[in-house]
Amino acid sequence: MYKALLVSLLCLCVVMLFTCKDKTKPPAPGELTHISYRPKPYPYNLPEGFPRFEVPKDNPGTVEGVSLGEKLFFDPLLSADNTMSCSSCHFPHLAMTDKKARSTGIDGKEGIRSAMSLINVAYYREGLFWDGRVKTLEEQALLPVEDSVELHNSWDEVLNRLKKHSEYPALFRKAFGISSIEEMDKYLAVKAIAQYERSLISGNTKFDRFRRGEAVLSEEEMRGYELFFDASPDLPDAECGHCHNAPLMTTNEYLNNGISEAFTTEDFTDKGYGLITGNPLDNGKFRVPSLRNIILTAPYMHDGRFKTLEEVIEHYNSGGKHGPNVSPLIRPLNLNEVQKRQLIAFLETLTDPNFTQQN
Amino acid sequence: MRKILIILISLPIFIASSCDKDPEMEVVGDVEIIFRANYDGELFLTQKDYEYIPDMSIKFSTFDLYVSNISLLKEESSTDESELVEIDFVDLSFDINQQSRAEEGDTVFTKKVPAGSYKGFKIGFGVPADLNRTSPNDYGSGDVLATSSHYWAPLDSYIFSKIEGFVDKDNDGIYETSEGEGFTFHLGRDEVYTERIIFPSDPIVVEDGQKLEIYIDIDVKKLFNMPIDQFDTNDDNLLDIEVYDGAHGNQEEELIIAKQLMRNYSEATLLEQ
Ligand code: HEC
Ligand code: HEC
Repeated sequence: MYKALLVSLLCLCVVMLFTCKDKTKPPAPGELTHISYRPKPYPYNLPEGFPRFEVPKDNPGTVEGVSLGEKLFFDPLLSADNTMSCSSCHFPHLAMTDKKARSTGIDGKEGIRSAMSLINVAYYREGLFWDGRVKTLEEQALLPVEDSVELHNSWDEVLNRLKKHSEYPALFRKAFGISSIEEMDKYLAVKAIAQYERSLISGNTKFDRFRRGEAVLSEEEMRGYELFFDASPDLPDAECGHCHNAPLMTTNEYLNNGISEAFTTEDFTDKGYGLITGNPLDNGKFRVPSLRNIILTAPYMHDGRFKTLEEVIEHYNSGGKHGPNVSPLIRPLNLNEVQKRQLIAFLETLTDPNFTQQN
Repeated sequence: MRKILIILISLPIFIASSCDKDPEMEVVGDVEIIFRANYDGELFLTQKDYEYIPDMSIKFSTFDLYVSNISLLKEESSTDESELVEIDFVDLSFDINQQSRAEEGDTVFTKKVPAGSYKGFKIGFGVPADLNRTSPNDYGSGDVLATSSHYWAPLDSYIFSKIEGFVDKDNDGIYETSEGEGFTFHLGRDEVYTERIIFPSDPIVVEDGQKLEIYIDIDVKKLFNMPIDQFDTNDDNLLDIEVYDGAHGNQEEELIIAKQLMRNYSEATLLEQ
């Protein structure tokens, strides 16, 4: 009995010794299993009164994933000549936009549309981009790297650089538990970027605090709020809230807000949503953008045609231009100068200090 | 010990009795409810011209509504109801390029109901008060009550139904946004919620394991009836849309109009099996 016990104990020691020795051995080239993989769920802290958003089952947010995504988002390694990153068009201090009417890529080529703010982008389940042509953030993040008017690179080249990098392999391991460098691929890279983008939640504007009963709007801002949401029977309805509804300041619908004159559905230079649905009656419709941080994101509209908010208000006040599918909510508003100022004062309460600072 | 014995003996009895219930529960049928819209009998399409009153045409851009508390009633007077739908959203804004989809209509999600013969069909137009106390923020994205385009924060109410479009006021053949020819009826608030019970001439018969299709046809023109001798055009009992071109629910006048339009859903609705 004793003997048997002794023998087995001895065997155990030998086995343990072997495994010990194994651990001290340097990992095979490309192997990452020596790095710990203990992902922590990312706390998407939703502001009070905000709806929930869907997170894809195969890409739940983790602290490690979000931080890898953030690093990738700001890394010029993604572009062919190492000069531009996602953040070159989506600046954090400009509510993730770029102050240009139309964005310019690494070769100085201009795209056809204005960069979009990425705050609260997790909520846009009705499609991404001005025309809704992409469904998920993961799918979207694949595109800028190879787009000729954006980063104009190839994913093969980006992965080459990431695999050779001194930090990325370990960060991919920590975020996704891969066991070797060979498992690093573009799908994991975009998953991380998407996780970071989902973390860009804005719910700390003066208007949010007003809604939570933590701030008071000035007289001017309050009148602007009432005009915007048709909240007072004594003031005209500026109709804005029907399309730019709280708390996201958009309903995410695709609509024509009457900025382009068109007599037939073929007259729109940029067909927008119609190109995606194939229905000519959707030509000239674009996704209603959020108005959060709107004072920081000039110029305005999908092609940046309006330089100031004053021009935007003039447009809406005039009743817009003729078009075959303009929303009937676009109509002459007959606002006076004071009311126009009040509307802008309200728009100024939509600035979230979390998205005004340089990183 | 005695306890264990008792449990052991009663267990088979319990299992047997729950088994018994099974066959009875299976006597259920499916009911599919399909909503379709027409304008005075003609297929309803958005972006299409219809005559509103002589010399004034109308063109719609949006027509949708929440339907709720849909159930089948065993007897005319009974409270014995089988619920089919608690709440759903019906979007009938199909445009002139989507004619076949408009003909098919919009089907709402329904539950299985016990097979049998039913005399009444109950339907609510709008969001009933208990649900209207909630807001889109209470739902996950994808839920019918999560759409912020149909919620009015300042009034704490869902928009039960949206009817939007244009009327050619000056009869020049062009619908002008900039000349204020648009109309937007956003109908909502508890006061305008409407419920109706329809008693079809033939009872609604749900058969075991079968699918029954019930069509609900809504005549959009009838929604504009103004029997109250107010807000109507001179010679028709139709809302004078030229003057009253919107109802967003926060003015006294608008609320009266909204109530009437929602009430009109009862008259405008026809059930077909
Ligand atoms: C050259 C400038 C540029 C670069 C670089 C760029 N973007 Fe963009 N981004 C844009 C423009 C312009 C749009 C709108 C395009 C459209 O609608 O057609 C946009 C739209 C988006 C959207 C859609 C937002 C929404 O609300 O629908 C996302 C998400 C996004 N970009 C993420 C990224 C990521 C991630 C990267 C880096 C991998 C990146 N962008 C790099 C210019 C850029
Ligand atoms: C019918 C729906 C609708 C109404 C009503 C409406 N908007 Fe818009 N708004 C849109 C759409 C759609 C766009 C994007 C259009 C485009 O770029 O082609 C937009 C764009 C904007 C932009 C530019 C945003 C950006 O990121 O470039 C501002 C600012 C704006 N709206 C403010 C307002 C204000 C203020 C009101 C009320 C006076 C208002 N909107 C009423 C639908 C609407």
